[in-house]
Amino acid sequence: MEVRLLRPVLMLYTALFLLFLYGPIIILAILSFQSQSGGPQFPIQEWSVYWYRHLLGLAETSRVSQLPVGESLVRSLVLAFMTTVVSVTLGTMSAEAFRTRFKGAGPIFYLIILGMMVPGVLVGLGVALLANFLDIGRAWWSTSFVLHVVYTFPFAFLVMLAIFNRFDRSVEEASLSLGVSPAKTFRRVTFPLIFPGVLSAMLFSFTLSYDEFSRTLFTAGADLTLPLSIYGTFSVEIYPNVFAFGVLTTLFSFTLLAIYGLLMKRFTARSKSRFAGQEET
Amino acid sequence: MYTNDKKSPGTPILAVNTQATSPAAAREVRDRRRAFLLLTPGVLWMLLFMLLPLGMVIYVSFWTQTTFAVKPDLTTASWEQFLSSATYLSAIGTTLRVWVIVLLATLIVGYPVALFIGLFVKNRTLQTALLVACVIPFWTSFLIRVIAWRPMLGTEGAINIILMKLGIISDPLSFLLFSEFSVIVGMTQIYCVFMVGPITFMIARIDESVIEAARDLGASFGTIFRRIVLPLSLPGVIVGTIFVSVMVLGEFATAASLSGRKVNLLGNIIVSQVGSLKWAFAAVAGVVLTVIITVVIALALRVVDLRKEM
Repeated sequence: MEVRLLRPVLMLYTALFLLFLYGPIIILAILSFQSQSGGPQFPIQEWSVYWYRHLLGLAETSRVSQLPVGESLVRSLVLAFMTTVVSVTLGTMSAEAFRTRFKGAGPIFYLIILGMMVPGVLVGLGVALLANFLDIGRAWWSTSFVLHVVYTFPFAFLVMLAIFNRFDRSVEEASLSLGVSPAKTFRRVTFPLIFPGVLSAMLFSFTLSYDEFSRTLFTAGADLTLPLSIYGTFSVEIYPNVFAFGVLTTLFSFTLLAIYGLLMKRFTARSKSRFAGQEET
Repeated sequence: MYTNDKKSPGTPILAVNTQATSPAAAREVRDRRRAFLLLTPGVLWMLLFMLLPLGMVIYVSFWTQTTFAVKPDLTTASWEQFLSSATYLSAIGTTLRVWVIVLLATLIVGYPVALFIGLFVKNRTLQTALLVACVIPFWTSFLIRVIAWRPMLGTEGAINIILMKLGIISDPLSFLLFSEFSVIVGMTQIYCVFMVGPITFMIARIDESVIEAARDLGASFGTIFRRIVLPLSLPGVIVGTIFVSVMVLGEFATAASLSGRKVNLLGNIIVSQVGSLKWAFAAVAGVVLTVIITVVIALALRVVDLRKEM
């Protein structure tokens, strides 16, 4: 009886929640189409793509300086790529190790998980202090890179652990004992089973590293990554070009997400049809 | 098919070890060695680039601070100065206050949503779609989501304009932006996903027949919620609490961009001290932060074993 009333109330609550979640970014997207004379607030003077042109350096010079996104974007992408490769490798290896029981599994599990738990500002400070102490220069491809892996490796590890927990080791053993070579077993049995996990781990590692800010702040040295150059604009007055950038980077994230979704869908569809084929024969 | 004419490829390797021990024991030894080798790079990485730097923070907090540098002469001067300064002590207070408020806010905002998605949405596809909708903002830039609150909450922001158009207020509310309020709203929006996710996961896992049985036995929804749903969702609440806590306690960017320098969290102290090359003070603030976070996580982990919930 109460349930009948509770259901629409909770539904409305969830709708409001989604509005709360998406409201600011929608407002931001609308304001990114502000005209040159308009400020970073309502009302919209005139709809235009001026700030997008400004962002890409296509607009004539103005009193607002251009966001320094070009080089920092390349750095962020390279850094995210390096981080993805290393953390997915480490994550897969560690998760594979956790399939056998061994002493000290608990502490090692928590040691790895700690990487995603410990605040970025703390490890960032620590790595900066350590680099100063050892007289090593700080740079995005060295000190920031090792910290990004510290952060994303636990995510990759957890994803791979969930995958390995789900699949039965005897499948591999069956393949091996039927005389299939280890390489072919990996290609035909192990890899198809862990592929969704690898893909998810890659998505996590790449997007987390691409967007990582607090771990980079103290460790990047002179050359800034993308989040750092955005943060630099916060202390001064903001203009709609930051909003335009926000829209573009959100679109970029969604593209990655869509590619992930498509790959995942294609993969699951293919493996399903293959299993169906096997049943028929 | 099942005859033994084909030896498994592993057998010749095993044969070396089987003289003294059984094949099973030899295999166990081999498996353990393999696990050890597989784990070594990851564990080394974490020791060198996470634990060692954290140890360095503790070490440097006892160094001597001069105007522009730190010297490795051990002293407790930075600690004394930190603990006797009203600014730093109030930063600890602010950090704890903001943490508690945001934690409660994410729980109040998140729990009903998790309850709806996990319990009331029966269609699996719709359930996944709603969860994905909650998680998607997590994939957009953190800094952009923070800055998006400025045109929302400012005196000429969307909320003030709407409230004035509706005639609820005549003058724009100025406490909305550049205040503790805006920091709390911003953090709640950014981190509530980490509360919704784990709780939904736990609620969706509840066996439907348990609830049906309770209903058949005449339990009201209140009783079902109190006796079944709430206790079974508690591990999710704890996991969410751990996530939100560590992220809020280590925060500084939201406060830096939404508070107009009015809210100083421990994270902001660290950033400003590093900015003025006061590494020892930054390290002291870092150690204080570490202690607070360790206590919070330890308390939460006493309630739930994280490894079992994964």
